[in-house]
Amino acid sequence: MRTLEDVLKNNVKGLYYGNRVILPFEADILKIVLDSMIITDFSSLSDDAEYVINEGFTDVYFHTIDAIEDKISEFESIKFVLVEKGEDLFDFANHRIISASVEENHKLIIKELDKDILFVE
Amino acid sequence: MIYKLFKIFFALSIFGGSLFASEGGHNAALPEVYMVAPFIILLLMIATGPLFYHHFWEKHYPKISILLGLVTTVYYLLILGDHVSLVHTLAEYLSFIALLASLFVASGGILIKVDKKSTPMLNVAILLFGSVIANVIGTTGASMLLIRPFIKVNQSRIKPYHVIFFIFLVSNIGGALTPIGDPPLFLGFLKGIEFFWFIQHVWYIWLPTIIVMLVIFYLIDSRNKGEETDKNEYTGKIEVKGTKNFVYLLIILISVFIDPAVISWVPSLAPLPFGIREVIMFTVVYLSFAYADKEILRANEFDFEPIKEVAYLFVGIFATMIPALQLIAYEANLMGDQLNVSVFYWATGILSGFLDNAPTYLNFLSAELGKFGLDVSIKEHVHAFSLDEPVGHAIYLSAISVAAVFFGAMTYIGNGPNFMVKSICERAGIKMPSFFAYMAKYSIPILIPVFTLVWLVFFYGKG
Repeated sequence: MRTLEDVLKNNVKGLYYGNRVILPFEADILKIVLDSMIITDFSSLSDDAEYVINEGFTDVYFHTIDAIEDKISEFESIKFVLVEKGEDLFDFANHRIISASVEENHKLIIKELDKDILFVE
Repeated sequence: MIYKLFKIFFALSIFGGSLFASEGGHNAALPEVYMVAPFIILLLMIATGPLFYHHFWEKHYPKISILLGLVTTVYYLLILGDHVSLVHTLAEYLSFIALLASLFVASGGILIKVDKKSTPMLNVAILLFGSVIANVIGTTGASMLLIRPFIKVNQSRIKPYHVIFFIFLVSNIGGALTPIGDPPLFLGFLKGIEFFWFIQHVWYIWLPTIIVMLVIFYLIDSRNKGEETDKNEYTGKIEVKGTKNFVYLLIILISVFIDPAVISWVPSLAPLPFGIREVIMFTVVYLSFAYADKEILRANEFDFEPIKEVAYLFVGIFATMIPALQLIAYEANLMGDQLNVSVFYWATGILSGFLDNAPTYLNFLSAELGKFGLDVSIKEHVHAFSLDEPVGHAIYLSAISVAAVFFGAMTYIGNGPNFMVKSICERAGIKMPSFFAYMAKYSIPILIPVFTLVWLVFFYGKG
């Protein structure tokens, strides 16, 4: 199984299709910041988003948008606060802040958040 | 006074249209009162859309704005046969959007990093600096430039009040000294008020207001002890990247004066609805984006969406407000004596808080001129009005200029940069207060007492 460390080290790219983002590792998501939306409700009642952990990847569906690439510019990113599957959710040291920015051909560049990009958790 | 306020707000529904007035140096029929409806509908939708039907609004606001604007345009062309008002308005819109877009893009290519420990005094210094430069690069430019370093500095102890005082001072009150500072004043400048009129007539109101606001901020921020738990080490360095964009900002500043009405040898491009100034500004938009450092744009999370939103909304606002401007000027002419400085201050202020302050300012400028039998669409009238101090006109103009700029801070929708700052902060993961919490917790308890004090000291019983 691919870990987040593998993804970051080997520059493995995620994918996006329409309103669906596919992260190439398994993770529990605590918070997503997309545009001016701060999403923390991933329950089945949520209007904004839900995620599904699959074997080897994590699917995120944004309910209120049609296409990710229309929502964020090439200079923007989606920010995730997440905990890799298998890690202790309650240990703050395991909370990772990941940015995902869109590239051509449905590719998603995944980085541990750059210090220069502002993010206050 | 409340009675008088109501009387102004509803004057349009009391008096009818179909009379004749002078417009832009030509005789044009007054529009019917119902033609104010597209303007009111658009402003109400701008106020309620992002709050109550966010997704619908986000998707359809360009179409709604253009459609409502077209209603007024078709009415003026086909029913009134008045194309002059439309051409004037188009020229003003292009000037307005050229300035905002150029400031927005040029400042978006500058990155400031402040690696210092957050203290109340440092925050006061940043807010004061922002308030001053807002007059040089606009409240939009200053907000874009400083909000990220301001949040970054306060990362270890950020609270919503930090951002809200930033909105109060840098995004609004600070920009009251020049036409570049805030869109309403730029519209006033386009209408004929001299560039330096504002600094001459407003500085003595601006300075004490800024000081009072900074003292309040300092007192609140001194109680936030988050800094004591901040164990990070700081180099104390301030780094500025993208400095070439300061040249673009200087070009924008100089180009404001490149207008045949300001400098006689500047050629006019008439009959085109724009001048050399607008050509320069749009060139700056292109150059400052095309040659920007992409890393800086990425760090600033640059996006054209905020300026696109302003461009779409204001095309509708400028078109739909033509009837309102003409009718208010006409009614103010009739009501004349009943309107005093206090009425203008509070009416402009209250409406600027909830509607966009730029069109509100124009409406009340129109009303003030109407009170003295002048016409806002004739540049010479506006210019003469701003210079006619012995008759006491300056205090009227000061009142609406101060109110339109200051009260823009009352809500998220009062001024363009307010929503932009809120949006940047939310993208940075800061939970900002809702529309109503912003008012209940911050703007009403802090701003209303300060603005009342401003009214009592500078405007009460005058004019």
